Amino acid sequence: MSTLTGTGRLLRHLIRRDGRHFLPWIALATALPVSSVIVYPQIFPTEQDRATLAATIGGNPALGLIFGPARDLGTVDGFNAWRCLALGGLLAALGAIFAVTRATRAQEDTGRAELLASGAVGRSSSLAAAVVLALAGSLVLGAVAGTGTVLAGGGAHASILLGAGFAATGWLCAGIAAVAAQLGSTARAANSIAVAAFGLMFLLRGVLYSLEAPEWTTWANPLGWVAETQPATLDRWWPLAPVLALALVLVAVAFVLRGRRDYGVGFIAIRPGRARGRIRGSWGLILRLNRGPIVTWTISFIAVGAILGHFAASVHDILDSNAAVQQILAAGATTPVGLVEEFLVTIMSMIGILASIPGVQTMMKMRTEEAEGRLELLTTSGATRPRYFAGNALLALAAPSAYMMIGGTLVAGFAASADIGVGFRDAVLQAAATVPAVWTVVALAVAVTGLRPGVGILAWAGVLISFTLTILGPTFELDDAAMAVSPFWHVPRVTAESPDLTGLLWVAGVTLVLLAAGAVGFRRRDLGR
Amino acid sequence: MTSEELVIETRGLTKSFGGFQALRGLDLAVGRGQIHGFLGPNGAGKSTALRILLGLIASDGGTARVLGGDPWRDVVELHRRLAYVPGDVALWPGMTGGEAIDLLGALRGSANQARRAELIERFELDPTKRGRQYSTGNRQKVALVSAFSSDVELFVLDEPTSGLDPLMEHVFQEVVGEARERGATVLLSSHILAEVESLADRLSIIRRGRIVETGTLEDLRHQTRTEIHATLARPLDHRARDLLADVHLEGHRLSATVASDRVGEAMDLLAPYGIEGLTVAPPSLASLFLRYYDSDAEEGSPARPDPAQPAPARPAPAQSSPAHGAPEPHGVPEPRSTPWSDAGREA
Repeated sequence: MSTLTGTGRLLRHLIRRDGRHFLPWIALATALPVSSVIVYPQIFPTEQDRATLAATIGGNPALGLIFGPARDLGTVDGFNAWRCLALGGLLAALGAIFAVTRATRAQEDTGRAELLASGAVGRSSSLAAAVVLALAGSLVLGAVAGTGTVLAGGGAHASILLGAGFAATGWLCAGIAAVAAQLGSTARAANSIAVAAFGLMFLLRGVLYSLEAPEWTTWANPLGWVAETQPATLDRWWPLAPVLALALVLVAVAFVLRGRRDYGVGFIAIRPGRARGRIRGSWGLILRLNRGPIVTWTISFIAVGAILGHFAASVHDILDSNAAVQQILAAGATTPVGLVEEFLVTIMSMIGILASIPGVQTMMKMRTEEAEGRLELLTTSGATRPRYFAGNALLALAAPSAYMMIGGTLVAGFAASADIGVGFRDAVLQAAATVPAVWTVVALAVAVTGLRPGVGILAWAGVLISFTLTILGPTFELDDAAMAVSPFWHVPRVTAESPDLTGLLWVAGVTLVLLAAGAVGFRRRDLGR
Repeated sequence: MTSEELVIETRGLTKSFGGFQALRGLDLAVGRGQIHGFLGPNGAGKSTALRILLGLIASDGGTARVLGGDPWRDVVELHRRLAYVPGDVALWPGMTGGEAIDLLGALRGSANQARRAELIERFELDPTKRGRQYSTGNRQKVALVSAFSSDVELFVLDEPTSGLDPLMEHVFQEVVGEARERGATVLLSSHILAEVESLADRLSIIRRGRIVETGTLEDLRHQTRTEIHATLARPLDHRARDLLADVHLEGHRLSATVASDRVGEAMDLLAPYGIEGLTVAPPSLASLFLRYYDSDAEEGSPARPDPAQPAPARPAPAQSSPAHGAPEPHGVPEPRSTPWSDAGREA
């Protein structure tokens, strides 16, 4: 019996069972370029609009971090390539990685593969079937996205090349995931290795483009090869050849590794954990459970602060190149300093809305603890409900405050050093003044999880409302009564001569009511599972 | 039995979830030092009752006392004096079994370190594995080690062995027996009839949110019929049919049932026909339960034994003696669709 016996049967089984998991990735990767080509002509109808777009975005290194260099924003295809190549590749990559892991390592984890492995199938056939599924899925994703873009009005050559770039990224990641599935000993470990490898390449590409690093750094990165196809500008196909070659090499490596390992274990063995525990109470447990998110969010907010700080430091360039702003300034409706201060308030609100997300997440984690039955084990062992709830709520309020101040302080540092007319102290104070609004958003999640965990989705309402009203609201020209629903509308401008603090009192009052409602509700209601 | 001796006592307990009545007046009494089997089909309200006793959910009506306190109001103090093992144990995916045992033990505040080590050994548990690596059975072992290494007065066990292999099931029975010797009370909900049969001093059977039967296994057996299998020298005539039921004759071989208190009369009756071979089997638990679970009529539960009659503190182990010889079906009776798909969900 060859090591690949039965691959065909396994593949048919896999397609039936896992094929549908590719659908969301295909839908997203198609919606992305299709929406670009449809929306672009409407938002930027004239040459002048497009020139302005190219000037503001082309000069913004923060955006370059994610999207890579903007080569030609004056045409619909050029804009589409800039907006979608990296993100569409990311979608294809995640689709492929999860598909391979799900069909290999996850099957071994649950022991389901044992049933199949004990049947008449070769040792490597489940890996082969998984790789074929991921390759085919990526190909379909690229083809649908490319064809869809052409149908929506994109240029044929550029759009198909863009789709091919998605597919090639998917192939590359199928290879990475196939290797990762041999290295990691659990599905989680395999996914982490593969996503980290891809994430590193993705970040390096963005950072090195933004820093305008020497050209060889692009060619040293497989994702750089995909970017160098340059759809709509150079329209090159050949950089995809080394991507595919690397994908095949990785798959070959995975098969060699598969032949050398035992069923159910990876090359990186799971380290045994502690036989004895140090955690003695519910607060220790809460900290432990949130440890991972605390580390990643802290790093994220250092990055957010740096990016937005960079953005704030270049505020004059952005304002100068904006025709509408120039007209307002010329009419004397405001002063440049006033605009900069307004801009700072907006940036702090953005950080605040972002910072409320991990707070809501902490409360949702508590909800998961309850739903999965771990809370019941804890409370029946003597953990008290009020203390457990207070611990979660406290962390949900404190961590976002810290994130807000990390991001805000970094922005303040950049703004002060760039001499744009805002002092370090004022900017930090502005960040601090934003914290109570963050608390209100989190307090809504505290109230929901305390009172009615069944409608947990409502916990996110605060984030959604704040984002819609505070970030999108001004462009919809909503009136103040509607805007005031968002707690961020009440954040005082600390640089004003006599800052109006009544808004803060309102915000604090609502926060207290929500927190109390959650605490009382959690004490009184039935615990579910 | 006076109320001081009762570790658990509920009167007229009711609880509804939306439109579904999970408990309809539950009266449950568990005396100190007992191992009390708590049985009933899925959806009968077992878990709901246990969750009220644990203070996880509030009852709608009736009273409940656990260790002399109100399970809802005195919840924290009670939780330090009891240990709970759910049937479907959920552990923290990133924490090891050892860490979980120590966390729960520290919360209870009565972890016995020597017993913890001994139980880990006996249950053959690897405490260095993480929650996400454990199988169902190993997760149960973590909860069992955590519970039984604590010096508590009451153990509430909700189908605690559904994932254990027979060897570990045996260890579990030993461990529960040792807890009783230390004077602890155990409320054991289980579908594994052999487990209940060998452990429980008393049983309560719940159906549709009410206790339909309570007593020792012997009490319950007396209300049902004993099976007789005999090989006779001469065929049976009609006269015998008044006493026997479910008569099945195949040549010389007879199988029938008789009321458990009239076995002697049946022997007298059969003797003249020349008994060449005989087995007399007390009703199996499985047949007992099917009888209770299966009765369709809402109020048609079998007559209850006199509740005033005190149960022996420690009855003779209820089992068929080897002389009777008939193999007794152990384990869960073959699921039959009607009795087991009883009203609604088990909350």
